[in-house]
Amino acid sequence: MMTRFRYLLVPVLAALLYFAPAIAGGSGAIYSAFVLMAIFAVMAYGLDLIVSDLGEVSLAHTVFFAVGSYTTALLSTRLGAGGWTTLAASLAAALIFAAVLGLMTLRLREFVFSLVTYAIAVVAATVAQNWSFLGGSDGLRGIPPLDMSFLGISLKAGNDREIWPFAFALLCVVLYLVERFRRSRLGSAAIMSHLNPRLAIMSGVDPQAVRLKVFLFSAPLTAAAGWLYAYQRAYVSADILDSYFLILMLTAVVLIGRRVLLGPLLATMLVLSQEKFLSLGGYADKIVLGSVLVATLAFFPGGLIGLFHRLRSALRTRPSISHEATSLDRTV
Amino acid sequence: MNFGQQLINGLVMGHAFALVAIGWTVLLGVARLVNFGHGQMYMLGAFVTWFAIATLGMPYLVAIPIAIVVGVLVGLLMQRIMLQATFEQNLVSIMIMTLGFGYVLHGAAALFFGSTGQILDTPLSSKEIAFGDLWLTWQDAAIIVVAIVEFIVLKLIIDRTRIGRLVRMVAEDPKLAELAGVNVRNVYLGVFAFEGAAVAFAGAMVGPRTPILTSMGFDEVIMTFVVVVLGGIGSVTGSYLAGIALGLFTAFFGAMVSPAYTTAAAFVVLIAVLVLRPGGLAAGAR
Repeated sequence: MMTRFRYLLVPVLAALLYFAPAIAGGSGAIYSAFVLMAIFAVMAYGLDLIVSDLGEVSLAHTVFFAVGSYTTALLSTRLGAGGWTTLAASLAAALIFAAVLGLMTLRLREFVFSLVTYAIAVVAATVAQNWSFLGGSDGLRGIPPLDMSFLGISLKAGNDREIWPFAFALLCVVLYLVERFRRSRLGSAAIMSHLNPRLAIMSGVDPQAVRLKVFLFSAPLTAAAGWLYAYQRAYVSADILDSYFLILMLTAVVLIGRRVLLGPLLATMLVLSQEKFLSLGGYADKIVLGSVLVATLAFFPGGLIGLFHRLRSALRTRPSISHEATSLDRTV
Repeated sequence: MNFGQQLINGLVMGHAFALVAIGWTVLLGVARLVNFGHGQMYMLGAFVTWFAIATLGMPYLVAIPIAIVVGVLVGLLMQRIMLQATFEQNLVSIMIMTLGFGYVLHGAAALFFGSTGQILDTPLSSKEIAFGDLWLTWQDAAIIVVAIVEFIVLKLIIDRTRIGRLVRMVAEDPKLAELAGVNVRNVYLGVFAFEGAAVAFAGAMVGPRTPILTSMGFDEVIMTFVVVVLGGIGSVTGSYLAGIALGLFTAFFGAMVSPAYTTAAAFVVLIAVLVLRPGGLAAGAR
């Protein structure tokens, strides 16, 4: 019953989301907000697997995002490569980066791992700012419109309205992959080596191999977001390694609740709606986003879902135990 | 390249790194906490000092304590909010929260102080000491003296006093310390207050060496991390020596190869050390 309901619900929800920008008025700003929401949600799903499933905090995921964007920018502006080529190259480049970083940090755990990944992100930012091959501080300009044509079917996207179907499709693919990952053997091995490393080893799981594999699986997801982001902005510069993306990703991962499939998507929608439609100005928005991140972890460690469950169980149980509670109050 | 001058630059920078890192050394050694907002707290210390001098017209010697007080308040507030996670030793949450705090500090500082770069001028930073063709500013000399004094005092406090013993006890085993009647909560709050004070003080002292921006702070975190890891996590003497080694390395690398990539080079050294000697250079020599 439940599963049949779910089979119905998923297409309905997907269709609703797909037509949401049109329903909301269909202006350029609306489409732009929805495209960015999809891109940033995809970016966050990569990190979600590391934080929620593997239990480590990678602060280098902005680098994978940048790798996707820069690969796309370099290939499309210098070699005139099309959308499929840049996508494949972005994923491949992310895999190479993830393999190098993964092997380098294989033995590092907890805060040392996070610090090293943080350092990688900072170093990547200095390299992007100073290396003329990557355009230095000017960045790379003039990325052509996205062209995903194949077999004679023309699929081009020059503005946010035209990019939206691609962003939506990317989001759907990534949601499917994350869902499949969580049901896969690798997914359960990740959870096991996170929650109980000893049990994992006894069950024949090699935590280091699992870590490396999850890293390799997660990096291309974030890089795919960077790929589409390059087309959306039509230029790429070092500000793609700004801490904004890191804070946004982390907020997306923790705000709704860990290991909730739609969590990062909903959280990204919330954050972007505030920034796009209720903005208080760039720096005040930083305070809002940072405070949301801190407050979530400090006061609702289970995320908004945890808060919701707490409220619901409090509301549900109150009437039935009310008179018992009064008698308990007396004894206490 | 002028070898003597680079040696002086390296020693000054090294003491500056050690000064910036000292709070985190204690934080990590005692509470096993990390603070990714460290760089932004350094930025705040420098900007509060600048604001007190340039806008409120206070003398430098009054501006420094003001910066320290602000640092203490920020440190206490952060630790108060993170207390639950600290007791649970929930490092994942703590790391992400400190990143969030750093982000908030950046936004708040840019709103309050403006986002343009400033020069933190002190009475010491414009006067030079020259030996032949070698020179440094009085501010540089002050950094060296102050760093040495701060490290000696900290070492004495940790090794010789009751507070030091309590702090080391909490570092060793927080649960046991709690059973022995130590107020662990206050030790954690105190350690974070010290982190805030120390890094704000470093901002007030080291800030005048470079133009200050509200967006700065990332390099400081990396350099601090290198110092703390090279020195052996939690080792006060180790941090001091590691700071100086890093300062010399940075000065000579900047002069011989490229000043733009010094952070990257320091990071490569760090990776090499982590892979070869995960406990740091001073491992076991605490």
